[in-house]
Amino acid sequence: MAVLPKAGNQTTKRIARKADEAKLISIRRLMWLRFKRNRLAVVGGAFLVVMYLAAIFAGFIAPNDPTLVHSQYVSMPPYGLNFVDTSGNFHLIPFVYGVKSAVDPKTFRKTFKIIPEEKYPLQFFVRGPEYTILGFIKTDIHLFGVEAPGTLFLFGTDSQGRDIFSRVWYGAQVSLSVGLLGVFLTLVFGSIIGIASGYIGGLFDDAVQRIIELLMSFPQLPLWLALAALIPDNWPSDRIYFAITLVLAILSWGALARQTRSMVYALREADFVTAARYSNCSDWRIITRHLLPNTMSHIIVIATTAIPGMIMGETALSFLGLGIRSPLVSWGLLLSDAQHVRVLLQQPWILTPAIFVIATIIAFNFLGDGLRDAADPFAK
Amino acid sequence: MTRYIIRRLLQFIPSMILIAFVGFLIMELPPGDYVTDYIRAQTLGGNRDAATQEAAMREQFGLDKPFLLRFADWTTNLLRGDFGISLATGTSVREIIESKLGATVAVSLCAFILSWAIGIALGVYSATHQYSKADNFLTTISFIGLGLPDFLIALAFLVFAWQLNGEVLTGLQSSEYIGKPFSIGLLLDFLKHLWLPVTAVVLTGMAWVMRVMRANLLNELGKNYVTALRAKGLPERTVIWKHAFRNALHPLIGALSQTLAFLVNGFVITSVVLDLPTIQVTYLDATQAQDLYLAGTILTFIGFLVLLGTLVSDLLLAWLDPRIRFA
Repeated sequence: MAVLPKAGNQTTKRIARKADEAKLISIRRLMWLRFKRNRLAVVGGAFLVVMYLAAIFAGFIAPNDPTLVHSQYVSMPPYGLNFVDTSGNFHLIPFVYGVKSAVDPKTFRKTFKIIPEEKYPLQFFVRGPEYTILGFIKTDIHLFGVEAPGTLFLFGTDSQGRDIFSRVWYGAQVSLSVGLLGVFLTLVFGSIIGIASGYIGGLFDDAVQRIIELLMSFPQLPLWLALAALIPDNWPSDRIYFAITLVLAILSWGALARQTRSMVYALREADFVTAARYSNCSDWRIITRHLLPNTMSHIIVIATTAIPGMIMGETALSFLGLGIRSPLVSWGLLLSDAQHVRVLLQQPWILTPAIFVIATIIAFNFLGDGLRDAADPFAK
Repeated sequence: MTRYIIRRLLQFIPSMILIAFVGFLIMELPPGDYVTDYIRAQTLGGNRDAATQEAAMREQFGLDKPFLLRFADWTTNLLRGDFGISLATGTSVREIIESKLGATVAVSLCAFILSWAIGIALGVYSATHQYSKADNFLTTISFIGLGLPDFLIALAFLVFAWQLNGEVLTGLQSSEYIGKPFSIGLLLDFLKHLWLPVTAVVLTGMAWVMRVMRANLLNELGKNYVTALRAKGLPERTVIWKHAFRNALHPLIGALSQTLAFLVNGFVITSVVLDLPTIQVTYLDATQAQDLYLAGTILTFIGFLVLLGTLVSDLLLAWLDPRIRFA
């Protein structure tokens, strides 16, 4: 008789405790809630997810082969999709006109004329040039396109007659991945050196700090230019791609290492690290199990904020002809035609990739801001 | 204060030597040198005797000596104000830099003053009207402007200007004014070209200043001394401008360290795109042509300006804030 109420008491306690735990929110969830509160960051994040997916499935989205030269349609302005035809009739499915090109006998410039009688309605899931996704899925089905004699150049063509719209998506593969890869390298260099420098301290720390100061005393761009000039011209384009990411990463690990170091410095004397040391943990275990997880969220946030800078660095270098080279395509390379003022003024549509560069950078800035708040969910 | 200055000045010397070394080293790194390229180009062009000139050219430019010796020569000459000659044109590096410096500083000074003035003013407004519609608008704008590639904006402006009235606003002067003595027409023409790079740079530059200003001023306005001042009945204007604003300026003064270098080497690509007669373009060409002494000197010069800027901003901060001076 005396036992039962006690047991019952314990059960109720357990139930109460469970209810309490259900009300507690895990840190991860707290971060997510905090992140969701920043609406611009959510929008930026969603936009970037779409962009990265589009880059992966570039072949599916692009209606044309990005390297195929349409010699008939060199430097053609975008004519776009039409819903209303020349006689004012509305079409539910948009269409493109057939285009006839001719050479102006006076100026010798190419002129384009739409042929109102020729209409090619937009079709979905059409067969076109073959492509591979992620290197192993081979297919020739494209999201949209038009029937054979018709051509679909949504953003017009460049001065060699290649479809800018298709090239934008293939360029996204390079431009977007350069940022990620560069930041990954920065993350690895920066966090290892930062943690080592903060944990070991002493002479090693001093030396590393001086090196970082020296690196940071040069403004980034001139040094990037000088380093990019080091890459030999005759390298294959994929090797140049890695060299460029390395160049971008070399100058940015310093700032990350500094921040990590100062965090480790503060944590080194924390009670839980002292406790770990007294329970005979190895340095390696303290670093990987105690210091790294505690600094990781901050490190990742700092790294995210570095991505837009890297994307811009790649764009700038490729724009100047010091970065990515064909047959690879990148946004900077697409824009490099605009360096020649005459070309730019006659074909302003070659600036379209700039919109993607700018939108991506803005989205990353928004995302970084949201992540910064989320990394510290207890701040007011 | 004197001790602080002396200590900072002493730190300056080894850093400067290191910077000169790195600047020189980076220009040295590419395989081959200017002479190799020159000889190759000449041979390809059909000049068979080119190969025999190689040794003589190396000797003339001092490229035959070992690296460290060359570096030592170059630094001692730097101290004497002799920066060597440009391998590509044969003119002295000093002359080239001096001829470009005027236009460079004119453009960047305009951009700098405008972006800081507008940025600070908008930042203060934004902070004192927190969460108002104008503040939300400005914050979003500054976010968008932050980190935007100024050369793309400059290109867009160029196209717009051309479509508006058919003028190609590259360079800093129209061809008919180049080399002419000063006149009102020349000034107007100069201004007409100037606005394009300046606006592009200001649009992106002021965003950063504004964000820093807003964040710091908000931080200061939340502090106890501001409440105390307000409780004392001080007018809001005095509270903000005389007290909070001054304290909020610190990080901006810290950022001045990069400003001197910016004046000489900001917006490299915008200059290239707009074909401005500035030092940035010279530097870019020199790095690509492996014009060792020219590129090395400019890179070292930029590093020197960063160091100098850091020194100046540190001294300014120490002068403004006794907490730093006595730390």
